[in-house]
Amino acid sequence: MSTARSRNSEAVLAAVLGVEIVVFSMVGEQFATIGNFFEISRLTVELGLLSLALTPIIVMGGIDLSVGSLMGLSAVMFGTALQDWRVSLPAAVAVAVSVGMTGGALNAAVIARFRVPPLIVTLGTMALFRGVAEGITEGARNFSGFPASFLAIGQGYFGGVVPAQLPILVVAAVAYALLLHRSVIGRAWYAIGLGEAGARYAGLPVARRVALAYLLAGAAAGLAAIIYAAHLGQARSDAGTGYELAAITAVVLGGASVTGGRGTIGGTMLGLAVVSVLTNGLQLAALPSELAGVLTGVVLVAAIALDPGTRRGRGRAATPELLEGETLVRNSQVAILCAAILAGAFLVAGTNVWMVRSLVSPAAGGSAQPASAGRRPVIAVMPKAKGDPYFVSCRLGAEEAARELGVDLIWDGPTGLDAARQNELVESWITRQVDAIAVSVENRAGISTVLRKARERGIKVLSWDADAEPDARDFFVNQATPEGIGRALIDEAAKLMNAEGDFAVVTGALSAANQNAWIAAIKPRLAANYPKMRLVTIRPSDDDRDKAFSETQTILRVHPGVKLVMAISAPAVPGAAEAVRQAGRRDVNVMGLSLPNMNKTYVHGGVVQKVILWNTTNLGYLTVLAAAKAADGTLAPGATSLAAGRLGAITVRGQEIVLGEPLVMDKGNIDQFDF
Amino acid sequence: LLWRWSAVALRRWPPCTSLSPYRVETALGLVILALAAVLAVAAPRFFEPANLADLVLANLPVLIAAVGATLVILTGEIDISVGSTFAVCSVVAGTLATIGAPVPAVALGTLAVGAAIGTVNGLLVAWLHIPSIVVTLAAMVALRDGLRWITEGAWVQNLPASFQWFGLTQQLYPTIAVGIAVLISALTAWTMRSTRAGRVVFATGSNAEAARLAAIDTAAVRLSVFALAGVFTAIAAIVNAVRFTQVPPNTGLGFEMKVIAAVVVGGAAITGGRGSIAGTVLGTALLGMSGPALTFLGASAYWERALQGGIILAAVAIQAITRTERAVRRAAGTSGVAI
Repeated sequence: MSTARSRNSEAVLAAVLGVEIVVFSMVGEQFATIGNFFEISRLTVELGLLSLALTPIIVMGGIDLSVGSLMGLSAVMFGTALQDWRVSLPAAVAVAVSVGMTGGALNAAVIARFRVPPLIVTLGTMALFRGVAEGITEGARNFSGFPASFLAIGQGYFGGVVPAQLPILVVAAVAYALLLHRSVIGRAWYAIGLGEAGARYAGLPVARRVALAYLLAGAAAGLAAIIYAAHLGQARSDAGTGYELAAITAVVLGGASVTGGRGTIGGTMLGLAVVSVLTNGLQLAALPSELAGVLTGVVLVAAIALDPGTRRGRGRAATPELLEGETLVRNSQVAILCAAILAGAFLVAGTNVWMVRSLVSPAAGGSAQPASAGRRPVIAVMPKAKGDPYFVSCRLGAEEAARELGVDLIWDGPTGLDAARQNELVESWITRQVDAIAVSVENRAGISTVLRKARERGIKVLSWDADAEPDARDFFVNQATPEGIGRALIDEAAKLMNAEGDFAVVTGALSAANQNAWIAAIKPRLAANYPKMRLVTIRPSDDDRDKAFSETQTILRVHPGVKLVMAISAPAVPGAAEAVRQAGRRDVNVMGLSLPNMNKTYVHGGVVQKVILWNTTNLGYLTVLAAAKAADGTLAPGATSLAAGRLGAITVRGQEIVLGEPLVMDKGNIDQFDF
Repeated sequence: LLWRWSAVALRRWPPCTSLSPYRVETALGLVILALAAVLAVAAPRFFEPANLADLVLANLPVLIAAVGATLVILTGEIDISVGSTFAVCSVVAGTLATIGAPVPAVALGTLAVGAAIGTVNGLLVAWLHIPSIVVTLAAMVALRDGLRWITEGAWVQNLPASFQWFGLTQQLYPTIAVGIAVLISALTAWTMRSTRAGRVVFATGSNAEAARLAAIDTAAVRLSVFALAGVFTAIAAIVNAVRFTQVPPNTGLGFEMKVIAAVVVGGAAITGGRGSIAGTVLGTALLGMSGPALTFLGASAYWERALQGGIILAAVAIQAITRTERAVRRAAGTSGVAI
């Protein structure tokens, strides 16, 4: 019975996948190619391993939220083993997998032995594993510089097209399929999912079977961590953030029932394909990546609602209500089908809007110049995080430059700081054959490989805001160096404090690379030039205004002597300012690195003294302008100056295009800036 | 051996036996007292009234949303779209205020949006019988990304003066906010204990089939708890948003985890049918004080998350031990491993 249902849900899913492929072949550029197919598969290996491991757990009616965090912990331990303990590569791999298995064993022990619901246990271990990974690395440590032979696992090819890590996923999928569908253990997992008490009365060793699934999930997380490290060339404590939910989505989409007893490996792989193809297709059609989230949600609900197996409440099958239920379902099926069609129409309409807009924009720009051979050059620009107000203000300038120059601008990036997503997007832009790529780099070592690949394919590559490795890009649009920013911050702070007393720093996430670079620049200058100033604490705000507010309140209580709070993440400055204002502490200064608009009231109210930043709108403008000029050959290697439209002549030093000095904004001049 | 010994010790310990219906609440209260005792010795400044007031105010939104989540979890369902709903409601409240709506209109509009989101979740769960974790997972992702798409990350700025603290003073506002939270908690607790409406929630969560045979419309119960959870999340969003003068759309990231953790640490069974508002209040208190407490005790920020995860696990393990013996005696695991 369960097999028939599974087949049914797999048919629905295969249909969804078919629709996706047809739609994207029509609207996306370079979508239906062998190369693109394999690129998609490369990006799904880590997620695929976690999804496979979660399938038997969900079949048992359990759940494991900790796999993503465990992946982060395994990655960090892998880096520690390889570089601190100086063990050989195979030994480091063994360390990573055994760390994963230890974590899995902890879950297994608490769940199977003490019978605490898995949702609660893994909610706790999710925080625990991530926390230990952050503790070990102090948030900042990033292991990179792995040997080339190791990186080949994650970046190389077999026979020119097949990604090197794909066979691992295939082997894992076959192994899991055999285990779940062709072994006694697999039958036990289904039996537990259908009814644990029944399984126990049938003489099955329930606790041991349950434990085995969680143990295997731990091992899979360890393996995924190794592939992740090889793929991105880095191992950091934030590896695998959010993967647990993506993996659960794939499994559930694949027809597994979260109440247990239903689900197949084939379904999970199909679910995975639906999600990955959707994400990739949207990128190639240059649709905003937020749409991926919205559509994943719609597809998830639609696929489950259309599948007659899932709706059945457990234990209700034998009641007379089933008949009534089925008629109800028919109506709702129609409704859901309509919703799915609407969503599809929405997608096509969205594409049309996008295309129309790209046709209109040259007219609006006025001075549009037709590009060579009638095709408008496409400039793809990536921020570190799309929703961040800092990058939102950069985008204004980028769009302005695109209008002036008559180029098509693709502005897309991860929705949060996410190195893996950055690589994924660059890959899709290479496939799409854009003319120039400009990236604000989250992870230097990780992204440089794909950027080099883009250069080999004749695409001009620039980095902006944060640099890649010098040989991976043609130019770097530099707003200010970390040393320059660190110097400006500490010098302004010293002026406000008369160079003596205690101060505290509120940073972004503890693992944020930029902020850590600034702190690293602040510390030596503090020791050398301002011996009477003392940095009492560094607190994280996770780029969340509300968290910065609470953290600052706590700082003011724990360290009442603090004379100044330096907030170095855009949302943290208004958060810290509000805390100081509500505490009525007029003696405490607030300053930091942020955007003018969100701080104007505090600056005029006398709470925030200084806001330091470069002109972000100009940075976006200069980036697109430089990218367009590099693409059409006007900006060639060896140039010493760049005619940058409304910015005038900008100096080019070697491969660096420098925007200028950081701005220091205070009461006097902040109203001149609007971003 | 240590486990067994401590289990036996805890079971024989007077508070746990004499107050058996409240043993989870008692255990939790003892954990909080222990933490408070450590703080009293190591960092007495933690108990300054102003600090406690800040702490209470910071955790009121979690508490209000957690009361709603308790109802959902009592019926055996789960709602992980709380954080995204919270963000949508915050932005709606901010936008309504900027276009000049008076305070009551802002509040009503936001509540309506929260109720609408909750109702859609509830309809999908109750009528289409889609598992709630799937529905709310989809809602979480879709709402968060939809919001990002529409706002493009821009903050809601230039809020009128009547927005912050509902136009009241900073001194008056905490009283109002605490009043709202106490009213909601007390009213919900009373409803759950003493009215038919409350009992049907427990009945649905304990055994949906039996409840249905007892002429309870379980679909309507599920729908109502999701709608209520949406309304409570909207209230939480308003109470939080009015503490500031701007609304960032990325607010409430990870809020769902805080809320669910507070409910389960408060002793609610994720399988439904067991839990209390009092437990949720204590759970919120424990989790809310643990972060600042670690700062006061001088723990490094880098290890804080690990310690918090440890505290959750410890609280859950203590509850599990006090429960295990009963559970074992009761026909070897009828609930056991299930989410």
